[in-house]
Amino acid sequence: MTVYRCKDSLESIFTAIYLAYEEKRNHWDTCINLTDEPVLFAEDVYVEPDQVKMNKVMRSLHRMFGEKDYLSLCMALASRDEGKAQAVYRTVVDGLAMKRKAGHLFDNLANDEVHHAFALARLVGREIGHLREFVRFRELENGVLCSDIEPENNVVAFLMPHFSDRLPQENFMICDGRRGIFAIHPAGRQWYLFYGEEGQGPLPFKESAQEQAYQELFKYFCHKIAIEERKNPKLQRNMLPLRFRKNMTEFLQNE
Amino acid sequence: MEFLAVGQEMPLMEKLGILANSAKYDVACTSSGVDRKGNGVDMGNCVAAGICHSFSSDGRCISLLKILLTNECIYDCKYCLNRCSNDVPRATFTPDEVCTLTVEFYRRNYIEGLFLSSGILNNPTFTMELIFRTIWLLRKKYRFNGYVHVKAIPGADPELIRRTGFLVDRMSINLELPTAEGLRTLAPNKHRKSILTPMRQIQNGITANKNDLVLYRNAPTFVGGGQATQMIIGATPENDYQILNVAESLYQKFDLKRVFYSAFVNVTGDKQLPALPGGPPLLREHRLYQADWLLRFYGFKASELLDEKRPFFNVMLDPKEDWAVRHLDQFPVEINRAPLEQLLRIPGVGVKSAQRIVAARRSANLTFADLKKIGVVLKRALYFITCGGRMMYPVKLEEDYIVRNLTEKQERIRFGSDGMSYRQMSLFDVGNFGQPVTVTDRIQAAAGQL
Repeated sequence: MTVYRCKDSLESIFTAIYLAYEEKRNHWDTCINLTDEPVLFAEDVYVEPDQVKMNKVMRSLHRMFGEKDYLSLCMALASRDEGKAQAVYRTVVDGLAMKRKAGHLFDNLANDEVHHAFALARLVGREIGHLREFVRFRELENGVLCSDIEPENNVVAFLMPHFSDRLPQENFMICDGRRGIFAIHPAGRQWYLFYGEEGQGPLPFKESAQEQAYQELFKYFCHKIAIEERKNPKLQRNMLPLRFRKNMTEFLQNE
Repeated sequence: MEFLAVGQEMPLMEKLGILANSAKYDVACTSSGVDRKGNGVDMGNCVAAGICHSFSSDGRCISLLKILLTNECIYDCKYCLNRCSNDVPRATFTPDEVCTLTVEFYRRNYIEGLFLSSGILNNPTFTMELIFRTIWLLRKKYRFNGYVHVKAIPGADPELIRRTGFLVDRMSINLELPTAEGLRTLAPNKHRKSILTPMRQIQNGITANKNDLVLYRNAPTFVGGGQATQMIIGATPENDYQILNVAESLYQKFDLKRVFYSAFVNVTGDKQLPALPGGPPLLREHRLYQADWLLRFYGFKASELLDEKRPFFNVMLDPKEDWAVRHLDQFPVEINRAPLEQLLRIPGVGVKSAQRIVAARRSANLTFADLKKIGVVLKRALYFITCGGRMMYPVKLEEDYIVRNLTEKQERIRFGSDGMSYRQMSLFDVGNFGQPVTVTDRIQAAAGQL
């Protein structure tokens, strides 16, 4: 058995997949592991992340399985699950062995590993969907829009294409407080990621003069739009889980 | 809030409160149907699936800034909060206020766009012109490229409706009540014909525009997200069968994207309206939506779900279960062989899972465990399916038995902790066997009493 030991990054995992094919391993006797947990009778290979190899793998996955499935693989790799690398690796092996066409990579859901990767991609996809809805920007003194989120999976990079397409002429940033990742979009230019320190709280920036007024207006609107006769907090919790609410304007209590 | 107050008028906050309150009974407010990328300059884009940005305490989504332009109205519809004989505070937005609110909310990702409706001020054409001006300002001066949904005002000048159509993503005209009689009693100023005429106009406009777009790629889009309508449920004595038939013909004859159903809330206390002591008919609304989905995505017809003899939906079972139980001759369905259309008719199998089943069975023979992974709701589906010729448990294919199991919670087959096991009950499961033997038991056993 061969175990590729990786770091939790796209670069590292894709390099491992490249190596597994380059070294012509038996794929059913090979696994990719993100932890340092020892495996009995296994040969450990420590993977050195390599940008060139990553790009090659990404390009071929994209070419063979199409945009949608390629994105799903990336999403599965953005989850916080420890078995993600193995699931994605096996899915790729299954896809290549069965010569699956674009859009059909995840067809074989009866296969456990494919199903695992599919479930991870779906989970992360849902969180991206939620955050696309629930991200709230506040305007800072200098006109920059700023948003704090604490996602369970590493999804900031997936949110940025949507928001930069939507607000092309705004300076805005989204801060992943849990991982210390800042996604920054300068007006009219390409967005980028900035890695800061982990576990930091909301940024202590001052808000602009009219920010408070718009927040109040929106809170009032949310209050007024509800129909009292249909009140249904359980449905509300189903649709908008509590964990998102601490960063959402309409649920913040006034100090 | 002083700086937001405009001149001598009431503050913006108060206006927003009044006009949001007046608009909240309108349910046709999704932000779906249009996929439009940003153009790199203006603010905004649209996502086909629609985005709900928040959920209010009634559990309904807040997707668009749903407001009326004015809640002053010359009409006197009995069910409407804004009827002219109702004594409520009145307010009117200026077009600039609507635009500023939309743009500032949109920047902060509070909303997905604007939903603009209006009471009838002076006359329908005048009102429609106000709406047109507001949207024109929003699109051209404020350069807003997000989702806009407006109400077409029945009876307004067709040219105004046409022009507005080129600026917005979705238009809707409320049918309000499913039948012409209902409309006559409760909304004396509205007529069936005046509602259907602009609906037809928009439908024709959309069709013509689609042809134009084939010829000229950059032709302006006319109501790209299609049109919608809403019906009030429970204010008049129509039955579900009538309502569903109306919805079906709207989908077929008017190419509507959505028909919305709004459980009637008695806000005016008019003597011609039902009192509804048990609150709005929410379950009925829910069943209608379920049936609506069956019409649009599952290939059902209204006449299959209901008929004149049983014109109301079953309260206990959802429409699909109800249909399946009445058509047991078509079940059980073999998962590994049945065509997609047949899979879609199994209770517990949705559109997504049916598609996944069809894709997955190409590579493997599916078992019940696989179905669970695929997302089939087995507790509903197990009575109607076989995998490889076997049912999940020995199930009687009898109407009574299935209905009892689908409805009563205690009677339902319990799933094990891992979700899949179902152990045959044995003699040793009887409660008394687990208990330790007491002194009394021994004495009784020795004396031959036990």
